[in-house]
Amino acid sequence: MAISTATKAATDALAANPAPVSVGAQEVHRWMQSFTWDFDKNRTKYSTKYKMANDTKEQFKLIAKEYARMESVKDERQFGSLQDVLTRVDAANRVHPKWNESMKVISNFLEVGEYNAIAATGMLWDSATAPEQKNGYLGQVLDEIRHTNQCAYINYYFAKQGQDAAGHNDARRTRAIGPLWKGMKRVFSDGFISGDAVECSINLQLVGEACFTNPLIVAVTEWASANGDEMTPTVFLSIETDELRHMANGYQTVVSIANDEAASKYLNTDLNNAFWTQQKYFTPVLGMMFEYGSHFKVEPWVKTWNRWVYEDWGGIWIGRLGKYGVESPRSLRDAKKDAYWAHHDLFLIAYALWPTGFFRLSLPTQEEAEWYEANYPGWYDMYGKVYDEWRARGCEDPSSGFLPIQWFIENNHPIYIDRVSQVPFCPSYCKGESTLRVLEFNGKKHSFSDQWGERMWLSEPERYECQNIFEQYEGRELSEVIAEGFGVRSDGKTLISQPHTNKDGKLWTLDDIKRINCVFSDPLKAL
Amino acid sequence: MTIEVNGGRRGLTDPEIAAVIMAAVPDKPLETQRKMNYFMKPRGKRINEYEVLCCYSQPTPDWIPGGLDWGDWTQKFHGGRPSWSNESTEMRSSDWLAHRDPAFRWHALYVKDKAEEWRYTDRFLKAYSADGHVRSIDPVWRDEVLGDYLGAFGFYEYGLFNSHSSVVRDCLGDTLRMSSAMIGLDKVDNAQMIQAERTFLSKLVPGFPESTDIPKQEWTKGAIFKGARELVQDIWQATYDWNEILFSGHMICDPIFGQFVRREFFMRLSSYYGDNLTPFFINQMQLYFSQTKGITTDMFHTCLGADVEFGDYNNRLMRAWANKWLPRTVNALKDFMAIYATIPEIKGVSDKAAIEAALVRVFADWKRDFADPINYKVDTAALVKTVLSGLK
Repeated sequence: MAISTATKAATDALAANPAPVSVGAQEVHRWMQSFTWDFDKNRTKYSTKYKMANDTKEQFKLIAKEYARMESVKDERQFGSLQDVLTRVDAANRVHPKWNESMKVISNFLEVGEYNAIAATGMLWDSATAPEQKNGYLGQVLDEIRHTNQCAYINYYFAKQGQDAAGHNDARRTRAIGPLWKGMKRVFSDGFISGDAVECSINLQLVGEACFTNPLIVAVTEWASANGDEMTPTVFLSIETDELRHMANGYQTVVSIANDEAASKYLNTDLNNAFWTQQKYFTPVLGMMFEYGSHFKVEPWVKTWNRWVYEDWGGIWIGRLGKYGVESPRSLRDAKKDAYWAHHDLFLIAYALWPTGFFRLSLPTQEEAEWYEANYPGWYDMYGKVYDEWRARGCEDPSSGFLPIQWFIENNHPIYIDRVSQVPFCPSYCKGESTLRVLEFNGKKHSFSDQWGERMWLSEPERYECQNIFEQYEGRELSEVIAEGFGVRSDGKTLISQPHTNKDGKLWTLDDIKRINCVFSDPLKAL
Repeated sequence: MTIEVNGGRRGLTDPEIAAVIMAAVPDKPLETQRKMNYFMKPRGKRINEYEVLCCYSQPTPDWIPGGLDWGDWTQKFHGGRPSWSNESTEMRSSDWLAHRDPAFRWHALYVKDKAEEWRYTDRFLKAYSADGHVRSIDPVWRDEVLGDYLGAFGFYEYGLFNSHSSVVRDCLGDTLRMSSAMIGLDKVDNAQMIQAERTFLSKLVPGFPESTDIPKQEWTKGAIFKGARELVQDIWQATYDWNEILFSGHMICDPIFGQFVRREFFMRLSSYYGDNLTPFFINQMQLYFSQTKGITTDMFHTCLGADVEFGDYNNRLMRAWANKWLPRTVNALKDFMAIYATIPEIKGVSDKAAIEAALVRVFADWKRDFADPINYKVDTAALVKTVLSGLK
């Protein structure tokens, strides 16, 4: 075999310097942009009104194996902590019961967002034209699988080791019963995967991940640790390290369309809709989970909201995108008003509908009531006195025959569901920015609580045809709905959800609910 | 004590807070069922960790079989198309959530394996370079076959990688979605490993081109990969049915064309041309092929083909898809036969008899693993003959 010139040069080089040589991830990554090729049918399967550039970069410059190395290191730290130190100190059993219940909701609902983000970033991987951008979205696809598994691990861990496994052990089967679920599905499921591909990126990355993961994944860790929960910070902070790359992906999505002059016509409207969609659910729900789902409080939700949503996201993050024509959403000011009262309004409704949950809720204690009043002056007159009345009527006791939803009916305060956000609201008894608007379309009535959702519906009503829970359960007796939705514990009769977390309190059963004969009715039919 | 805690006080370690918490914690657990997802039917005797963490994570309305949720989609596409729908595939299932990765890999296990493969690759390359193995590679094999054609084959892997994007978006089950994403990452990893090998060679062999220019030219304009290119483009972009994408890619194209190119050409021949570097990378690709085969076999044979309600229909559809994609795959392989004219012939290794034997192996494997389970009648001898007609 003849030795070519190149072989001889290689031989000579080796003789002079036999040092081991390898290949770094960056050396492979720098060829990433050249991996694709042009052909006639090379276009996305998911339409977008935006034109994405084909030379967008991926800032973290990961190749497949380097991605795996990085995530594997993170996993070792996280699961090592869970399986060793935290298990040995029986950490899951040293969490305040109220917070234990909150984590049934938080970990499961975040999991829904992470799961749907797998599909969402699959769509973006398809719609992007730049190979680096595709690669960045691919990494995110895998991250979202990671986060889905991690969120599940929280429930798995609490179910195995904690004080009340019910709701942790079956959240995926029971979550669909209650009034919180459909709003969650709206913001963290369908809002990420159904629509213009870039609009979905704005929903997922520019708003969901850049704005609401800060309170949802970062702030929640402070509340968790204050209430004895060290599992959640261990897992959620590991999740958040990936979110930074996802925010960068969202930034790159905007960069990729920045040179398209037509983009400016749509971008701020899509951003405004995405922000309102997300905040409409998260502003009240997160505040409710933090303040009403804990014993020890970190700070009033309105302060957390103001720091993360208004200043950090609406100001700094969106400000950085200003050079690409992005403006802070016009609905931000209305959202700021909601940040003060909306979570108190929602808890009133959520507690009233407690049997349709998969977790236990608690009435505010005396010291909590004082904390609310100190931080939200006027709280007692609006909410506290109602809770006192409910408590006096025995709402925690199965033998009382009283469900707080009866209070709303007796006092003629109907609860509606916003058709676009699917969030319940009571326009006649609330302090947040909710006003009842009712529109008819195709022979059906639709209720709305604000102008922003109403505008979205008016322009595309076919996108929001989903039945709400009152329409779905119309005429059904409550215990039947609970049984059908698997809302009972493994004994087949005791409810997973309860109206208290008292260690010695009696637990409600299906029979207790059945005796009350509570039948669902759609308030829109009465209009 | 105050209920508002400042300064990062932690309930697990702060004695004052911990005392309040422990006073509120029930004396014994309130629920005896401690297994998450205890209600599910496991694939094996007991629910394993993979099933606990992955199964039923998908929120699905009740008309997508297998899901647990109630009700409709809350936001739909412009015009009212639902988020996910049964119409996204011609396949039918009584339970879209039935699939299991036979390796039971959730994310942590998957990246742990791949991370170790990266560390091992780094160690191997250092040892290989220090040993000077590169000196023994045949220059034609090295410069033309590895430089140009292996580089071009990277685009095949990259194209198939991209075919998974719409599958990850559209498929109807949670375990399917996770499996599909992992298969996709493996495919782009293959493309990146090919570039890594070329970059490595460029460091060891002065003048060896690291650039992808010539491989891209070979892939997009050359005759050897013409059929493969058109096949991959059609799987990636012209096919909308997510099951058909997976079936055409992993039940037809890759077990025939991909297997021949990787296993029978690059891996088997390389050592005869003094190349013991390429088999290292190809072996990783073959590991991924094997894992993918396990996944897609579970999807198409164990779940869809054996579905109690739709099994016969699904097998009929798979046979129809095989009729559609097999001729294109055979054509791609026929075009690839021209590569043998570019390398020095070695008797019994790269002559016609050896090529025929290699083709027989590939088609026999494919018939046993992919055609027979769906009762697809195929004359493999005729297929081999068609492919061999491409030999120059």
